[in-house]
Amino acid sequence: MEHRAYIGIGSNLGRRVANVERAFAAIGELGTLLAKSSIYRSDPWGKVDQPWFANAVALLQTALSPRDLLEALQAAEQRLGRTPGERWGPRVIDLDLLLYDELDIDETSLRVPHPHLRERGFVLVPLAQIDARFAALRDALPESEARSVSPLGESDSAMPIRENDSIAERVRALARFLADGDAVRVRITRPDDDIEVALRAAEPIASRREADRAPTKTAAPRVDTIKADLVGIFHASRPAPAEGDTFEGDRELGYIEALGIRTPVHSMGGGRLVSISAIDGTAVEYGQPLFAVAR
Amino acid sequence: MFRKVLIANRGEIALRINRACQELGVATVAIFSEADRDSLHVRQADEAFCVGPGPAGRSYLNIPNIISTALITRCDAIHPGYGFLAENARFAEICSDHGLTFIGPKPSVIALMGDKATAKRVVSEAGVATTPGSDVLASPEEAQSVARSIGYPVLLKATAGGGGRGMRVVRDAAEMQRAYAGATAEAEASFKDGRLYIEKLIVAPRHIEVQVLGDDFGNLVHLGERDCSVQKPSHQKVIEETPAPNLPARARTALHDMALRASRYVGYTNAGTLEFLVAGDEVYFMEMNTRIQVEHPVTEMVYNIDLVKEQIRIAAGESLGYAQRDLAARGHAIECRINAEDPQNHFAPAAGMVSKVVFPGGPGIRVDTHLYAGATIPPYYDSMVAKVVAFGDTREVAIARMERALRETLIEGVSTTVGLCLDILSTPEFRDGRYDIELLLKEPTPR
Repeated sequence: MEHRAYIGIGSNLGRRVANVERAFAAIGELGTLLAKSSIYRSDPWGKVDQPWFANAVALLQTALSPRDLLEALQAAEQRLGRTPGERWGPRVIDLDLLLYDELDIDETSLRVPHPHLRERGFVLVPLAQIDARFAALRDALPESEARSVSPLGESDSAMPIRENDSIAERVRALARFLADGDAVRVRITRPDDDIEVALRAAEPIASRREADRAPTKTAAPRVDTIKADLVGIFHASRPAPAEGDTFEGDRELGYIEALGIRTPVHSMGGGRLVSISAIDGTAVEYGQPLFAVAR
Repeated sequence: MFRKVLIANRGEIALRINRACQELGVATVAIFSEADRDSLHVRQADEAFCVGPGPAGRSYLNIPNIISTALITRCDAIHPGYGFLAENARFAEICSDHGLTFIGPKPSVIALMGDKATAKRVVSEAGVATTPGSDVLASPEEAQSVARSIGYPVLLKATAGGGGRGMRVVRDAAEMQRAYAGATAEAEASFKDGRLYIEKLIVAPRHIEVQVLGDDFGNLVHLGERDCSVQKPSHQKVIEETPAPNLPARARTALHDMALRASRYVGYTNAGTLEFLVAGDEVYFMEMNTRIQVEHPVTEMVYNIDLVKEQIRIAAGESLGYAQRDLAARGHAIECRINAEDPQNHFAPAAGMVSKVVFPGGPGIRVDTHLYAGATIPPYYDSMVAKVVAFGDTREVAIARMERALRETLIEGVSTTVGLCLDILSTPEFRDGRYDIELLLKEPTPR
């Protein structure tokens, strides 16, 4: 079954724009990339003594479950060069699972919709660009937040030079500017003439190695959690199902006994039993996870 | 005394029941819907079981899951609170079928008094005056003829109804046909029972109710009357007080006597409330609620009796231990219901997260609430979030304390009716204690 996931991308280290482009490619490996927003420049959220971010949002069509997708994105972050550092600090690449279909998930390490989605201009602006449903939320952002996000353009890369700066000072400023940014083209404007220099971003070695590996597009399996839909005593069936069991088609995995009535618990289709979460002979409540089945 | 009780409810009343159980040394089991997982009563109870998703029909009204929980946790009894299953005679029977004591009256009494038209007939057999009207109507024609004999205007009411729903005012014969059809349809939709009865519409009455308590040994007492006339156009109560202000002594005595007489006639046990309409000196029985009521705290403050504990004690087979002459009301108490609603928008319920909460305290103030900072108000249930109760030696002191308490109350994140309550308290009618159920009505009479 295909799902739609919105993934937020951010980078404020190294060649930001190139990093975002590589992120789009990595996300595309997990399914089909349906849409990519433009790349925006934003001021850092939270810690403010950080360089600016390049941000974008991708819409991915995928068969991966939310948790599998989250793990795949974390793996991609590591491949793309992120080291687990401080929260909200500088990062080569940051991939956030923003939305997954219309699902609402609130678990320890997986929260969808992303908890800060509504407050972040650098998420809402690119998101609204590829999905007009979010335009209202974007327009509702406080002005300061909305102003902190702007499309990347030449005007953002103006490096102010003061009249009395010495040559050395200017060269140092230029070096800092080039190291700091993703400049592809540099225009030097002087009273009498302009010089334009085109730079070509060197292809980072990491992404070449990535291309060599050429990962095959395997769809990660979906895992369904079978939950109790009534209150009672849970019993596993006999013979007892075990982790790793595979079965074709629906199978009765156990039953819940309540008020003298046994209500069977079904696997809801074929698959592989990944885990058994309930203890045989104990009480279960509504919504309590019983089995995890990988399809 | 019970070892363990299951609390079949949510919100502030679940917390109230939990408190009474704790003081009696009784263990508690809370049930909750997925929307109430972080609710205060869930945290306070000794054990807690999720019984279903948000919608009440699948959780708080889910009898199999509730009974199953009680059996698994080896409860002795179930307290139904108010609303939900509290007046469900079938549920009371099912409890008893499974060896669980239902904390309330017997199923037959619940069924008898739960049918509003039948209740009136039975009570009038006991010699209690009821609002002129009819039993269950068979047809619009019968409605017309009853209305003609008792005189217009009349009220068409659903016999299975409550909370002000399924009611229509009929001013004259020309309106009857359409009103009858409309009320039938609404009653069918709301209560799955479209049967109607007629009551004479008493203009600008006071709504005054009497609290009773009876044990299994034939002891029956009343604990005074409560004036609940401050109601929204939908007949939902906003402010209640005891004793009823400016009530002629004759009417007060009549109310207490009629309440005892009716309760004794039906063999009432446990806690109950008889509701009356009072117009001048005239007192008419309207209906009986066979459960603990939202506004019970004002009676508790004035009589210094814990009504929920008494319910549990009575259900556990204990005798009251006191007679009417041992009871004396002292002072005056007022309760304001605080709802998460927007008074500016026809009281539309507000759901969402409560970011900040400050409740009042100090002399004579009691707050019954399940709200806490960071709590989320789910959209599935009624909108009451807190009851602020003020007690004083005199009505003036109680009002002054209530006004102070409401001004101290801070609930941020949702709109509430705190301001509405302050406005009501400042009206000359309320301050003089001369108000009736039309105090809050914008239109002259309800739909």
